[in-house]
Amino acid sequence: MAVRRLRRVLVAGIPLGGVSVLYFARKPAFFALAVALVGCSKSAAPPAAATDDFGDSVRVGRPPSRIVSLSPATTEILFTLGAGPRLVGRTKYDLWPDSAKLIPSVGDGIRPNVEAVLAVHPDLVVIYASQDNRPAATRLRAAGVNTLAVRGDHIAEFRRVVRLLGAIIGDSVRAKSLADSVYHTLDSVRTMTSRLSKPTVFWHVWDAPVITIGGGSFMNDLVDIAGGRNVYADIKGPSGNVSLEDVSRRDPDVILAGPVGKRQIESDPRWQIVRAVREGRIFVVDTGVVARPSVRLGEAAVLIANLLHPGMLR
Amino acid sequence: MSRFLGWYWFLLIAALFIVAAIGVSNGAVSVSLGDVLAALHGSGDPTSVAIVRDLRFPRVVLGALVGAGLGASGAALQGSLRNPLAEPYLLGVSGGAAVGAVIVFALGFSSDGVVTIAAFVGAVGAVIVALAVSRAGARGSRVDLRTLLVAGVIVGAFANATIMVALASAEPNTVRGALFWMMGSAADATWRRVAWLALSIMVAGGALIYWAREIDVLALGEETAASLGIDAERSGRRIFLIAALLAAATVAAAGLIGFVGLVVPHMARRLGLRAHRPLVVGAALIGATLVIAADLAARTVAAPTELPLGAITALLGVPFFLVQLRRTT
Amino acid sequence: MISVTDLVVSYPRASRNAVDGVSFDAIGGKLTALAGPNGSGKSSIVRAMIRRADITSGSITIGGTDVRILPPGELARRVAVVPQREDAAFPIQVRDYVALGRYPHVGLWRAPGKVDEDAVADALAQAGVADLSARDTDALSGGEWQRVRIARALAQKAPTLVLDEPTTFLDVAHEMAIFELLSSLARSGLAVLLVSHQLNLVARFADTIVLLTEGKIATSGPPADVMRADRLEAIYGWPVVITRDPAIGAPALVPLRRPRNL
Repeated sequence: MAVRRLRRVLVAGIPLGGVSVLYFARKPAFFALAVALVGCSKSAAPPAAATDDFGDSVRVGRPPSRIVSLSPATTEILFTLGAGPRLVGRTKYDLWPDSAKLIPSVGDGIRPNVEAVLAVHPDLVVIYASQDNRPAATRLRAAGVNTLAVRGDHIAEFRRVVRLLGAIIGDSVRAKSLADSVYHTLDSVRTMTSRLSKPTVFWHVWDAPVITIGGGSFMNDLVDIAGGRNVYADIKGPSGNVSLEDVSRRDPDVILAGPVGKRQIESDPRWQIVRAVREGRIFVVDTGVVARPSVRLGEAAVLIANLLHPGMLR
Repeated sequence: MSRFLGWYWFLLIAALFIVAAIGVSNGAVSVSLGDVLAALHGSGDPTSVAIVRDLRFPRVVLGALVGAGLGASGAALQGSLRNPLAEPYLLGVSGGAAVGAVIVFALGFSSDGVVTIAAFVGAVGAVIVALAVSRAGARGSRVDLRTLLVAGVIVGAFANATIMVALASAEPNTVRGALFWMMGSAADATWRRVAWLALSIMVAGGALIYWAREIDVLALGEETAASLGIDAERSGRRIFLIAALLAAATVAAAGLIGFVGLVVPHMARRLGLRAHRPLVVGAALIGATLVIAADLAARTVAAPTELPLGAITALLGVPFFLVQLRRTT
Repeated sequence: MISVTDLVVSYPRASRNAVDGVSFDAIGGKLTALAGPNGSGKSSIVRAMIRRADITSGSITIGGTDVRILPPGELARRVAVVPQREDAAFPIQVRDYVALGRYPHVGLWRAPGKVDEDAVADALAQAGVADLSARDTDALSGGEWQRVRIARALAQKAPTLVLDEPTTFLDVAHEMAIFELLSSLARSGLAVLLVSHQLNLVARFADTIVLLTEGKIATSGPPADVMRADRLEAIYGWPVVITRDPAIGAPALVPLRRPRNL
């Protein structure tokens, strides 16, 4: 009994731990509580039905045992909620945590191959709720498979998505604690940086054309939380093409980029018109961590905060 | 019909210089014309100097070269094919270039030189394939120019299919980058790119001007050309190839910029230019001016977002075809 | 002078030769006409002359030299051809259009000199279109356009002039004007070869008629010899009668209304 509980804790704790090692290490009491909650999870009674992000009603009955997850964000969440062993399919882009790579891939998450999904005989499919995926969701339901469409593009939506997934797989308690811990990390980072001066940030997403993140992106919010200010927060959507000249005019203090992006910036003499490039203040972000508003949000905020305010966090 | 007076040349050249000056002194960072001139000499605030010399100036020059190349190419093609709707992207030039570029994007290279080379190779490859296809379908030893056009359509269709397949399974940012490239932009202007394009235009444009009188004769018809001592097929193919190479060079440098090659020769003819030697030169001047202006619009209309150059030039198509419609009915 | 000897022209995938062993001469000072039903090979001979159709066997010589070995520019200086149809895609001034007839002489780069300008002026005058020289080619009537085209050929100052159906779509006044022009050109020393299916006009103006049928020569000679009812009926497959026109007494062909043997 204790061994099984310990195993469950470890399986849940490894990803959770990545986020909250900072947190739990200082609060052993909460750790114990989390263990106890995990142990009690199975006895909670799930609700009968839920509404997904397409507005469709999804039946919630017996916890599913063969889940196909069609987006990296939901795969991450499911693993963190301990449902990893129940996954029988993922998209080819779902590569975190490492054990996700052991699950067979069924192809794309946008306009998925419905036959490939059905071929693994799932009893639950979690699909990304974009317009492109409506037909696939309809066809899956028509084939009798319980299908849940979720979409969490913003930090605030993370809780809702986690709650929905938790309800479906029958572990609402663990879901709540996951959401709580992520938001707690985000809040602490925000608090820690609130007293520091905010450097202006340019986030380099793509080189030709030059694409950056706009005010509508969760990455913009991450920068905010991490104690920075996105120079392009005035772009309404999640991203936009900008000209090199304009970047120079906005004069960011710091540039965030992926490893490839940093190489491109450094090897292109035209980028020298930007002060941050001349001063060598280009910081590499691990694109895998910051790619989506999911389980690793807290980790992402910590990462960026450490880049913007080195040595200031503890 | 209007006559082209001698001093019109001064007008055209002046217009080009004025628009170029406006282009170089406008952008996200405000730099006055005086500062621009100073920056060209190397004096003044280093950032301004860098912006003017490394960003704006090459961009304006690239735009001018692209416009000149497309205008000249279009003029030569319309004359030699005797078709007022002919344009430089015939024979699959645009499709081939796009295939080359998209494949490079999909493979993950986004370095400047690779895309340019791939686009040029793709364009030239498409032209060669179209020529081969047309020869296969030809009767005897003669290659009808109309057969060439059909071959170009076939190559273009195949290119489109390839592009769709490549983009369907590509990552979103790859698709975005590829699409933006295909919509045309002078934003990635570097002096190296400008140099290559300038070289290509001098060679190919020079060849067109050399053979310009042949185009005058070709424009009369294949039989008449033959009676004046010109092998219409051979001469037509030669002009075709040179014009296609010219177009390929512009596509490699700046992506697909539509309608310029179609509309500019008509504008030149409106001014009264008829014989192809002055017509090709005039179309080059007008094309250069037009593309610089379009690039300026692309940079400023929706600031800070940059619109693709091809989108602005596509707008040219609307009034042009309206006028054509009026003329034929 | 044009000399056609045993000319055979065949197009790929055709069931028979377009021209099947034709021989005739068109000499300076004379108006020679090539006539015959549609598809008898008249236009193919003209095409072979300017190398737009391949000569399978036999030869065409212009001024003594085989067309296949003449450099294209030299060919254009020896024979000026007015093809059957010509639609200029873009309008240009008549004067500039006629000046293009000097291309075989000026080439790609040479600026036109006095000789060229005189040739153009002469051509415009000869064709009677000097007053149209400032007009654009798309502002001409059918007859004017034909004469302008002939002017272009005349500007070439070649000793031989070949015209393929120059009076299609023209009314009687314009037709007569063209034939008068051609006749006077022949009398001034040019070798004029005319392809026409207008037998009656040809009979009045031509010195020699070469009558073709199915790629071969059916008969050739002065109009009086060629215009025979029985011959023409056999060639054209329609009953005809030959009369003498009342004005000048040239033989004239009158087709009958109902075929006798049907």
